[in-house]
Amino acid sequence: MSASTMCTTALSFTRTNGLCLGNYALSLLSRTATYSTALSTNNGKGFPNRPIRGPRRPKRESGAPRTEKMLENQDWTAVYPSAAPFKPSAVPLPVRMGYPVNRGVPAEKKGNLELMKIPNFLHLTPAAIQKHCDALKPFCTEWPASLDSDAACEEHFPIQLESKEFVSAGSSLRNPKTRVVTLKVKLSSLNLDEHARKKMVKLVDDRYCKETDTLTIVTESCPLRQQNYDYAMYLLTVLYHESWKTEVWEAEKTRADMEEYHWEDSRSQKNVLDTLRRMRVTSEGEEDPGAVREELLGQPEVQEYRESVTRLKNEGETEETMLQYREAVKKLLNV
Amino acid sequence: MTLHRLSLRLRQAVSQARHLHSSRSGQQLEALAVEPELPKELSFFRTRESDPACHADVHMGQYYTLSPVHLRTIFPHGLPSRFQLQMKTFNETCVMVRQPALELISHLKKADYSKPAVRYMFYGVNGCGKTLSLCHALHYCHTQGWLVLHIPDAHLWVKNCKELLPSSFCPSRFDQPIEASQWLRNFKITNEPVLSKLKTTQRYVWTKRESTEEGRTLAELVEQGMSRVRTSSDVVGALLKELRLQAGKPMEGREEGLRLAVAVDGVNALWGRTSLKKEDKSVVAPEELTLIHNLRKMMKNDWCGGAVISSLSQTGSLFKPKDVFLPQELLGEDGFDDMDPFVPVPVSNYSEKESESCYLYYMDRNWLQHPHSRTEEGKKELLFLSNRNPNVLERLCASH
Repeated sequence: MSASTMCTTALSFTRTNGLCLGNYALSLLSRTATYSTALSTNNGKGFPNRPIRGPRRPKRESGAPRTEKMLENQDWTAVYPSAAPFKPSAVPLPVRMGYPVNRGVPAEKKGNLELMKIPNFLHLTPAAIQKHCDALKPFCTEWPASLDSDAACEEHFPIQLESKEFVSAGSSLRNPKTRVVTLKVKLSSLNLDEHARKKMVKLVDDRYCKETDTLTIVTESCPLRQQNYDYAMYLLTVLYHESWKTEVWEAEKTRADMEEYHWEDSRSQKNVLDTLRRMRVTSEGEEDPGAVREELLGQPEVQEYRESVTRLKNEGETEETMLQYREAVKKLLNV
Repeated sequence: MTLHRLSLRLRQAVSQARHLHSSRSGQQLEALAVEPELPKELSFFRTRESDPACHADVHMGQYYTLSPVHLRTIFPHGLPSRFQLQMKTFNETCVMVRQPALELISHLKKADYSKPAVRYMFYGVNGCGKTLSLCHALHYCHTQGWLVLHIPDAHLWVKNCKELLPSSFCPSRFDQPIEASQWLRNFKITNEPVLSKLKTTQRYVWTKRESTEEGRTLAELVEQGMSRVRTSSDVVGALLKELRLQAGKPMEGREEGLRLAVAVDGVNALWGRTSLKKEDKSVVAPEELTLIHNLRKMMKNDWCGGAVISSLSQTGSLFKPKDVFLPQELLGEDGFDDMDPFVPVPVSNYSEKESESCYLYYMDRNWLQHPHSRTEEGKKELLFLSNRNPNVLERLCASH
């Protein structure tokens, strides 16, 4: 009897306050009503009663979230002027994030820890970046009009220097990584002849990339960036001048040191000449060896064979190059 | 479809078939009386043409049978081990006629033997049929009366050698008596009739008491090597030298002269690394072995009147990764320079027709036990799993 009256009063109370209690809360309310009729204070939220210690602070009702007051054409840079954590009440997007439990959907954004943990770039929208650029523009100079393409930049500024700046708020403003200087230059923009180019590539070894024809020098041995820059420029100068010089011991370069395969004076050429000479021995008698050699080398089959062997050795071995070699040998040996 | 055709033809050609399938024997007996003449082709996958000289493009993809006599003479040591097991199981030796071997045989037929020897090299992925193509070509050479010098696997000479004797002829080299004498024994079986007609051209002194005079037959030389095992490696060297000198020269009983076929399987062993060690644990280089040294001299094209047929092999090779098969990778720089110029002959996996033929052959031999493998689905599965690679297909069929 008392329980039912409690229920009805509770119901009327909640309705007047504009709150909506779920069934669960109602059942809880009725349960509490059956257990503790003595302490029949309810706090409107339907939670079990707790003994109150200390002065009671009424909990503030939170107002409507900011998203409801946002217009489409608002200034977003005012909402997120700088890097800030994700605020679900300030971001008007129906974003969901999380694992869908019990074949449900990902959790909503309200109170979503996952969304708050991850870094967001809501402060770097194109509008915000445009504002940054506009603010920096008075401090910049005009881009030169004649440097309108990459090729023009390459031509006038062949050496590219890279270094990093670090900004952080800490006990010290200095960062040891700022001293690293990277110097990139294309060898085609340097004035090198064949010998100098090959020597340069051999001197720098790994620092040269064949695909992009770029020499990269990274200096970090000195403590200051200025010193590292000077050192990089010095290295470039020294490499350039050294590769133009020809030392006495460079004459001892062997076939194994060569970068590319040359068919002239190779085992392959010798083998072919021997074979062809032996094939002709049956027909001719005495002949001047030099003339015979020239004649043999001038034949089109020999030229084709030479092409195929050079391609095989330089480009590496594949099915295609092997088949080309096969055709050339068949023609050469009249098979 | 093809299976229906197959059963039809089998019924017609039953009089020639050596094995009657019990399920069909009733119908076949009545067809016997109707059979007017023997068809040329036994069935889709077999051919009765057992002379390699007569094999042509029309026989491609079909199996031809080697007679036991030929088998014992020509291949005492040449065929791959798995193939030998198959021979014993099926009680017959059937080799498929394929394009690389046919190409080589046509080159051998057209070649001019007054010119220096041409070197041919079979190459291809593991298990695609290089060794069997080599054997097919050798069968042709033997039936034409050539002298066949077949080294079945050069890799066997550079690894697992029980005895390494320092050579008496050259102190820095090593002899391998067991390998040499075994090879001489097999060589004699293959070439007995020809060897008795050839004579030595110089005197060879083996030890203080033993020597072979000039003018003795090469058969005697081989006997000497087989009986005196210590000097067998040097005998091999002398034999190779003699054959090199006499190839192409006129011979009794043959008006075009002696033809020499040098066949080396696993030729990349000659320029690779060995797994043999000297007493001081340093590695033996291949050129320090007498057999390898002499064989390398044979591979040059400074002699006329024959051909050098070789095949590469990664399977037995030492210190080579599993997926290499192209000539330069397996031979190395030295090997390529030594063999250059050679004619590379690519051997590929089975084509559609060849794989069809192989499957029908296994079906015919009752080799496929699993009921699913006898269906069309099963056939497609087998061909897909093996990627039409002959070796893999054979292993798959053996386990199903």
